Amino acid sequence: MYKNTFKDDEWKRSEHMAVRENVGYYLFTHQLMEVSGPDAQRFLDWICPNNIATLKVNRDRYTTILNEEGTIIDDVVVMRMEEEKFWVSTLYATNLDDWIYFHSDDFDIDFTEITEDWHMFSIQGPNSKAVMNKIVEGGVEDLRFFANTNAVISGMDVILNRGGFTGEKFGYEVYCTPDDADAVQDLIDAAVKELGGKEVTEFQVFAWTLPTEAGFYYMRDLNGTNPFEVGLEKNINWDKDFIGKEALLRIKEEGPAREMVGFEICDENEDYYIRSKQYGGPGEPVFIEGEEEEIGRVGKLVYSYVKNVNNGYILAKKGKLHIGDHITIHGTECVITEKNWLN
Amino acid sequence: MTKKINERIPADSGNGAAFTQYNAVQSPWNKLMSYQDALHYASRFESVLSAAIAQAYRIIIPDYETRADEMCKEAYGRLYYTGINYPADDSFGIHPFMCGSYPGALIGDKGDDALLMCGRCNDFGTYRCEKELDVCDWDIVCSELCRATTMSLQGQADATESRHRKGHKLDYMMVEAKGCGDRHCRIIAESREKYPAPPHALWQSFGPAVSDDYKKFTVEEDCVDESMMFREECDYHFVSGTNVTTDSSNQMINLSTAASLYLLPAIDNAVRLGYTTAQNADWIKKCVLEAAGKAMFGERYAIKACRDWLGVPNSIGEDGRLLGGVIEMLLQSLVCKYEIEAFNENEVIYVIDKGGLAITGCQSLPQAHLYMWMGMVKTLVNAQWSVWEEDSPAGKMRIKIAKKIDKFM
Repeated sequence: MYKNTFKDDEWKRSEHMAVRENVGYYLFTHQLMEVSGPDAQRFLDWICPNNIATLKVNRDRYTTILNEEGTIIDDVVVMRMEEEKFWVSTLYATNLDDWIYFHSDDFDIDFTEITEDWHMFSIQGPNSKAVMNKIVEGGVEDLRFFANTNAVISGMDVILNRGGFTGEKFGYEVYCTPDDADAVQDLIDAAVKELGGKEVTEFQVFAWTLPTEAGFYYMRDLNGTNPFEVGLEKNINWDKDFIGKEALLRIKEEGPAREMVGFEICDENEDYYIRSKQYGGPGEPVFIEGEEEEIGRVGKLVYSYVKNVNNGYILAKKGKLHIGDHITIHGTECVITEKNWLN
Repeated sequence: MTKKINERIPADSGNGAAFTQYNAVQSPWNKLMSYQDALHYASRFESVLSAAIAQAYRIIIPDYETRADEMCKEAYGRLYYTGINYPADDSFGIHPFMCGSYPGALIGDKGDDALLMCGRCNDFGTYRCEKELDVCDWDIVCSELCRATTMSLQGQADATESRHRKGHKLDYMMVEAKGCGDRHCRIIAESREKYPAPPHALWQSFGPAVSDDYKKFTVEEDCVDESMMFREECDYHFVSGTNVTTDSSNQMINLSTAASLYLLPAIDNAVRLGYTTAQNADWIKKCVLEAAGKAMFGERYAIKACRDWLGVPNSIGEDGRLLGGVIEMLLQSLVCKYEIEAFNENEVIYVIDKGGLAITGCQSLPQAHLYMWMGMVKTLVNAQWSVWEEDSPAGKMRIKIAKKIDKFM
């Protein structure tokens, strides 16, 4: 019997639960594309299905980016920094850079990757607000969810953004220059630890277990899907034109072929062998007992430290799996669930 | 002798790689083989050649520990240098927040798939990574290679770490190795901060892993024999856990072999360090490679199989075209340009692009192939036949396959 790399790892558990019960912070620098110019908003509205026109200055919006077939090629947060200046937070800047380049001919915009100019620390959890109020001059009481603002931390100019990738009600992101990063981190670290929180150092915690528990996607989860298949269709503004709209309308009319569902392993102590896409590869095939047809693949399989279950996602043929269904995946009994373990 | 080219379809089938003109590698007798399938043969051939060169290296430095240590140091240093000077974080899906040396696992994962070393990543985190391989064509080379490849990965990982904010260093170890008889190759990288263990010398990269009780052992029925880029279930694409996607154009057989990347550089390094002279090193390579080449077709059934593989008509008897066919299939698979100057029952002459055969820029690799072919022709055709280099233009290797009498052969 082998140990479970999640369940049996107290190091990961303590970092995960620090965020859920107190506060945790981590370096979470993403790649940033800056898009500016008179047509910046109109351009982003063309490449993003979500509504950018209504995005006010200093507010953020999550959106997918689609290709002409309606397939998700990126999911990003668009931050409106000024009337004609936007930041697009991505983890696929090389691809996005090409995508923008090849689709911007008819728009008066400038775009450049500014990843090297910024580091970002994410402070997440119930006590994150207290941490921020302690280190940010003037505090963060007025900062709303998915809003950003210029601020000062111990004399250093920073950009604050309220949001995160954990599902926590309170979470903040501090953007600072690389030159200030050490000093900013020291201040965050001290304030977090004073409250009994800790630095989250484990990639699997801040990229996988925390987001999955909240039903969020890491881009690998979305590979090859369209918004209808993964429950992101509510972020589509149908009143405008955008790349992929035609294909998406067809999918809407016909109905999606697949859907992303949650699942848990029934016995948390079982020594399971189920491949999942987060490590690369195709994921474990999923079958319904007595049927030969493959109905899906395991996308993600991690662990919910809040619910103490091995949890994950399956991308399955539409209508084949229903909440409460019991299935056996590679010899392990699993149950289909909602995709959120914080409810 | 006449430099005519006997009828063959198409006459220019050796002109260029399968990518641009053909969907298949094509023998001089129009036997078509899918590029993917041919690539497996090329990969294994290069491993056989590498295994022979490994024996040369063993002769040059007889002591295992010294030899392995030198090989590991050389591989670590060179790949660290490469990682520092040619960073490619985006192409490996290494994100800006990935601090420490754990993203090195992404480099290894992608490289494995591209080298047909298929398997799976079992763990990928800040403090622990695990990769399990079911297939490794290099498993016949030598266990020193297993250690050196691990240290080259360590070099890449350390180079990656240096480009990011301070993180946690991982100790990369090959705790199981197919080259040592294990069912799988298994690399486990551990942070000594979380999984303490005594320090070890660079060459002692075989573990044991402290976190061995977390490993995932894949049983036979779940093992794979093809890389993701050649598997239907993967839609013929390699996809890493961070969503880096590549297709078969990413394959690296024509970019990296055990000989070019590790063994020949290790021998060059041994010469630099004074273990032997360049002249003696070359002599040893010639001896072992010719012997290895002869061994390839020493048994008659190997000749029969080779003829079948190439689609050689019964009308073709024992002549140099047999070896020519083998060489052409290899060169096409390696995407190495060559010209056919003669192809008939009396002689076969190729003018091979030396740069294309000097995989990873390893200048001594074309000569190593020539030594091997010299051995092969003796058993694949017969002892009257030889292969030698003659009148090579600049940047080319002009080889001739013909009968030759040499009283000191």
